[in-house]
Amino acid sequence: MRVSDLLQSRQKNWGELESLCVRLETWKGLRRDPAGATRFAALYRSLCADLALAEAYQLPPETVRYLHRLVGRAHNQLYRSRQFTISAWTRSLLVDVPRRLFGDNCLRLAFCIFWGAFLVAALLAARQPGFTEQLLGKEMIQQMEEMYATPIRALDPAGRGLMLGFYVFNNAGIGLRCFAFGLVFGVGGVLVTVYNATQLGAVFGHMSTVGQWGNFSEFVTAHGPFELTAIVLSAAAGMRMGFALVDTGGLRRIAALERAAGEAMPVACAAVLLFVLAALIEAFISPSPLPYGVKAGVAVLSAALLMLYFVGLGMPRGD
Amino acid sequence: MDSMTPGDAQLDTTIEIVTPENIAFRYQVAGPFRRLPAFLLDVALQTLIWWAGGGLLAMLFGAVGLAGLGFGFWLILWFVLSWFYGGLFETYCNGQTPGKRMMRIRVIASDGQPINGLQAVLRNLLRAIDGQPLFTYQLGLFSAMMNDRFQRLGDLASGTMVVVDERERFRGILQIDEPEVLRLARQIPATFQAAPSLARTLAAYAERRLGLPVPRRIEIARHLADPLARRFGLPADTSPDHLLCAAYQRTFVADDPARWQSSGVPLTPSAALVAEPAARAAGHSPFVSQPPAAG
Repeated sequence: MRVSDLLQSRQKNWGELESLCVRLETWKGLRRDPAGATRFAALYRSLCADLALAEAYQLPPETVRYLHRLVGRAHNQLYRSRQFTISAWTRSLLVDVPRRLFGDNCLRLAFCIFWGAFLVAALLAARQPGFTEQLLGKEMIQQMEEMYATPIRALDPAGRGLMLGFYVFNNAGIGLRCFAFGLVFGVGGVLVTVYNATQLGAVFGHMSTVGQWGNFSEFVTAHGPFELTAIVLSAAAGMRMGFALVDTGGLRRIAALERAAGEAMPVACAAVLLFVLAALIEAFISPSPLPYGVKAGVAVLSAALLMLYFVGLGMPRGD
Repeated sequence: MDSMTPGDAQLDTTIEIVTPENIAFRYQVAGPFRRLPAFLLDVALQTLIWWAGGGLLAMLFGAVGLAGLGFGFWLILWFVLSWFYGGLFETYCNGQTPGKRMMRIRVIASDGQPINGLQAVLRNLLRAIDGQPLFTYQLGLFSAMMNDRFQRLGDLASGTMVVVDERERFRGILQIDEPEVLRLARQIPATFQAAPSLARTLAAYAERRLGLPVPRRIEIARHLADPLARRFGLPADTSPDHLLCAAYQRTFVADDPARWQSSGVPLTPSAALVAEPAARAAGHSPFVSQPPAAG
């Protein structure tokens, strides 16, 4: 049998597979057509056999190239991307992440770096005149002081919805950037963490020396636990990736990075969730005229929830 | 990941993937010149969605007097679009964002498997570092140049790569119906059987000759055509170009000159000459009796 005869006999199947691929590539696919799906699988297998024998049958290079493309195309439709399942993500967030974080040195390191830089900056800002000005600039200080000059009871509630969006956009964005920068051998993550911590620390230190301290501390109490924890978490997730490039644990660097990144990503997602929770509190509870006791209660409750998450769910168990 | 030892270093952008069907097929890795337009298309679409969504939110929330909340959701929409647009599309549309679909590229895992949601989200979160400095994507480009699969840092971390997902219609076998070629094909002895390497060479030549000027064709074809002409006992002034085409015709298109001699018009082998086992209709390969060997 000559090649052209062979092709003639196979062409019908290839064409049919092509048109099934076209249908599969649409949004609906073959969900309503089980017969088509079965036929697709059979045609795909036969196409694979054709490709395997292409050499033996001396098919011209152009035909072989076509076969490679068609096998690739059908392969992509047969083996489709696995989608999110809610149960898998819940399990990852509630079981795997806290257990992994419990013994995670990166989290401890990120915690120490963040709070160390925060405290140093706060002390310097409170004690050393001129430090805050150098760090934050005159304009920002003025802005901050103006912002907290009005008592919280007198804030306009109309802006809350806008602020919710702003807090999610800004803070979770900072967290995710912090995570991504951690990839640069962990150094990027350390730098971003130190930067965030000194800025925050300086603001806290400076505000404690001026008359707006009352308004300021009342504002930041409620959402503080979630937000500060989220920053530390995203920094830790970034460092996990970056340090895997340095201490590979015997793997090739790329393989070590791949493994660490897969573990770190859910942590970054947990941080995003915390940022969103913090934004909700920051937008609707912190600026509300509720008594300070309630806001402090929210802070205590969220801190307790975090303890439950990290210690209660994270404690190593026998199983 | 495959080893990148110098031994199997490649010169072009083709990579080979072994499927569960135990067959190896080839993909072409997508380079920056395909990925950049896809990225720009995606950015345009993101902006479009953001503005359209903004208009919708303004109408909905403005109507009930909650314009502030509308603005808030607008910012959240931007947050979701800028960080999770790619991840969500690549998860739910089988490795393609709309821009990638338009540029015919697809994200797959570097072992050829489809990507999962975790990989899709991760590789898009890490755009933040690939885009440095200042969204010029220098870091990503540098990383892509350093490995043989054009993987940016996000791809390396999530174990993915971007491949060309070109569709191509089967155009059938190349047939040459120049009268001179057909005449020569009839003069080639019936005993002529091309060995595999010769057949490959003939096919490669026939596919590419139309892109070459005639003097260049003759220059290339002579090395093979002259010995062939001597073997077939053809006159020395036979056109080398036509002779190779004739040999190609005999090897690939039809071995029985009578079939196109008699009809005058070349070359559609009649279906009646092809045995049609029932198995073929069921999708089985007619010429496999044992399981296919790994390619």
